[in-house]
Amino acid sequence: MKKKVAVTLLIAMFAAGAGMGCGQVKERVNAEGESVITVWSPSDEPAIEEWWEEKTAEFNEAHKGSIHLQREAIVRADSYAYEDKVNAAITSNDLPDILYVDGPNVSVYAANGITLPLDDFFPQEEWDDFLGSSKDQNTYDGKMYAVSATESSVALYYNKDMLTEAGIRIPGSKEEAWTWSEYYEAAEKLTKEGVVGTNIIMDKGEGLPYVLEQFWISNGTDFVSGDGSKADGYINSPEGVEAAEFLNSLIQGGYANIDPIQKEFHNERAATMLGGSWEVATLEKDYPDLNWGVTYFPVADNGGILTSPTGDWAASVTKDVQDMDAVKEVMNFLFSKENVTTYAQAISKPPTRVSSYDVLTEYDEYPRSIFKEQLMETGHPRPRTPSYSVLSAGFSEAMLNIFTGVDAKTALDEAAAAMDKDYKKYYSEE
Amino acid sequence: MQKAINKKSERKAAYLFIIPAVALLAAFLIYPALQTIRYAFTDYNIMRPDRIKFSGINNFIELFQDKNFWIAVKNTLYFTVLVVPFQTALALALALLVSARRRGVSIFRAAYFSPQVTSMVVVAILWTVLYNSSPDSGLLNALLVKLGMEPCGFLNDPKTAMNSIVFMSAWQGAGYQMMIFLAGLQGIPKEQYEAASIDGAGKVKSFFYVTLPGLKNVIQYVIMITVIQAMKLFTQPYVMTKGGPQNSTRTLVYYVYEQGFQKRNFGYACAVAAVFFVIVISLSLGMKKIIKAD
Repeated sequence: MKKKVAVTLLIAMFAAGAGMGCGQVKERVNAEGESVITVWSPSDEPAIEEWWEEKTAEFNEAHKGSIHLQREAIVRADSYAYEDKVNAAITSNDLPDILYVDGPNVSVYAANGITLPLDDFFPQEEWDDFLGSSKDQNTYDGKMYAVSATESSVALYYNKDMLTEAGIRIPGSKEEAWTWSEYYEAAEKLTKEGVVGTNIIMDKGEGLPYVLEQFWISNGTDFVSGDGSKADGYINSPEGVEAAEFLNSLIQGGYANIDPIQKEFHNERAATMLGGSWEVATLEKDYPDLNWGVTYFPVADNGGILTSPTGDWAASVTKDVQDMDAVKEVMNFLFSKENVTTYAQAISKPPTRVSSYDVLTEYDEYPRSIFKEQLMETGHPRPRTPSYSVLSAGFSEAMLNIFTGVDAKTALDEAAAAMDKDYKKYYSEE
Repeated sequence: MQKAINKKSERKAAYLFIIPAVALLAAFLIYPALQTIRYAFTDYNIMRPDRIKFSGINNFIELFQDKNFWIAVKNTLYFTVLVVPFQTALALALALLVSARRRGVSIFRAAYFSPQVTSMVVVAILWTVLYNSSPDSGLLNALLVKLGMEPCGFLNDPKTAMNSIVFMSAWQGAGYQMMIFLAGLQGIPKEQYEAASIDGAGKVKSFFYVTLPGLKNVIQYVIMITVIQAMKLFTQPYVMTKGGPQNSTRTLVYYVYEQGFQKRNFGYACAVAAVFFVIVISLSLGMKKIIKAD
């Protein structure tokens, strides 16, 4: 009797498994005999969704009978939902051929053998046309593991009327960028009933390390060592603690909100904000009445390092690829001069190809010129370490703890320990 | 002879009938559960499914020394201990309010039930806005300030974050239990109330001596399912607080997610899940025993 039950259970389990297609690798070829190349990228605003539709149609038309390109928009929802989906696909060996990953994750996937080197995908003269900041981000262990079409930067947006009213100086060049003290004083002066002086929280996920790491760099340190193997002594160094305490002083003084409402700056509820380059388009399009300007990222006192965030999503090629030649063809198409330019135009982000700036001349003019200048001269990508996910989550948690009353050194020590433990456990012998 | 064959074929048919149910159960419950236990003894990193090494009881040793794990246990129990009586009492109160046969009462029934049919994610986002710590943006704080009180940190203060989640969870969940109580109330014979009132019992007395005893089984059932639901708390901290501030809302299930998917320590997450399983099972068995002994 018991045996029978066990046998029934086993049969049922196998039946269910087979029914779900477990244990088989699907051939990536369609009924027409075309190689099917799948791209995963985060779902985006309508202009980009249209770009994908148009470009996949164009590609498929030109490669009829040999390659079929399909792009799947994966909802990003919040900063970790996309990764959750990718993690699940890794476990089930069901990754797409081309996977878009956020900048700092390039090294994570590369170090784990999830993605493959792309150095021979493009000839050297093509690579030379890509911005250094973007190539830095996409390099791991001396090899290129991803390609990006666009870059990003963060600068200080300000409400012109409020600054003029308060009589606050606006920097004219990057050498005149506000120091932290000036930034603090301005935020203090600008805070009044219903308006905070500044906004430093882009979101409570990846937005925190993306924007705030620059305070560490400007103060002469960073999150991790150059080789990405150690956080202790960097993120929690005296300079790092000072950076965290400075940011906390803005929150504790009431000059920045820990829970900013959506579009706080756009709705004149914050006088300044550390905002991304993509906000230019939003402000121009949806807030034509707002009198705003943008200036350089603030610098640490006493000769701090000029710096600004960079980084954007990048396309990588995964280990589950079946038809590498077809993938190469697709990548060369997606990252051609023309397509990088049109993509950057559609998404209103700075392109990664130097030659695209010949076409997109708006980057020679203020306010976009500020971002182009920062990208070319002061940009720093996020840390390149295979333990980035742990570092990023640990840093976000540490900052939120500091903002709610935990000692800065204690909180950062914990973030450093978590990252170092992860690195030691999974990557140190390799 | 005929009878024996019948019995045999009947048994065969019985097995055939249960195969679909068992198959689904096996595929989605039993198999994953067994896998979880297996992975709990490995160093599985979600990025490296091809490099899984057996690590013995290392995960469990680490777990018992992991301060965040114990905080998660404490938070989960704290939430359960608070939300279960609160939500059950609220549901019972609502059920009593809407059980009367008056005109328009069905509107209130629907209203109290409506949070239940709304997705928890939506409810959580809504309450995040209500709880915003700045009186300029948060409705509740605006109200507090209007009444001349200090604004409250709600989700941003480790002292109030979990209580805020308790309150909104009870608000969201009570509608369902209210429906169960309503059904229970209808099962109490009218005669008992009549007899009580003839004996001179007022409203309060008849509640304690007629309604409550009449609902005993329903209350036991409601408490049981609320405890199990409460132990699984995940969506609210995931959407509203990410386990913070200062660990105050990190629950066991959130910790499993965080370790397994965010930090990719899949083996370790499985160990946490296995311990969680043991806790929930012993709680349910314990409660069943108490109820039976009653």
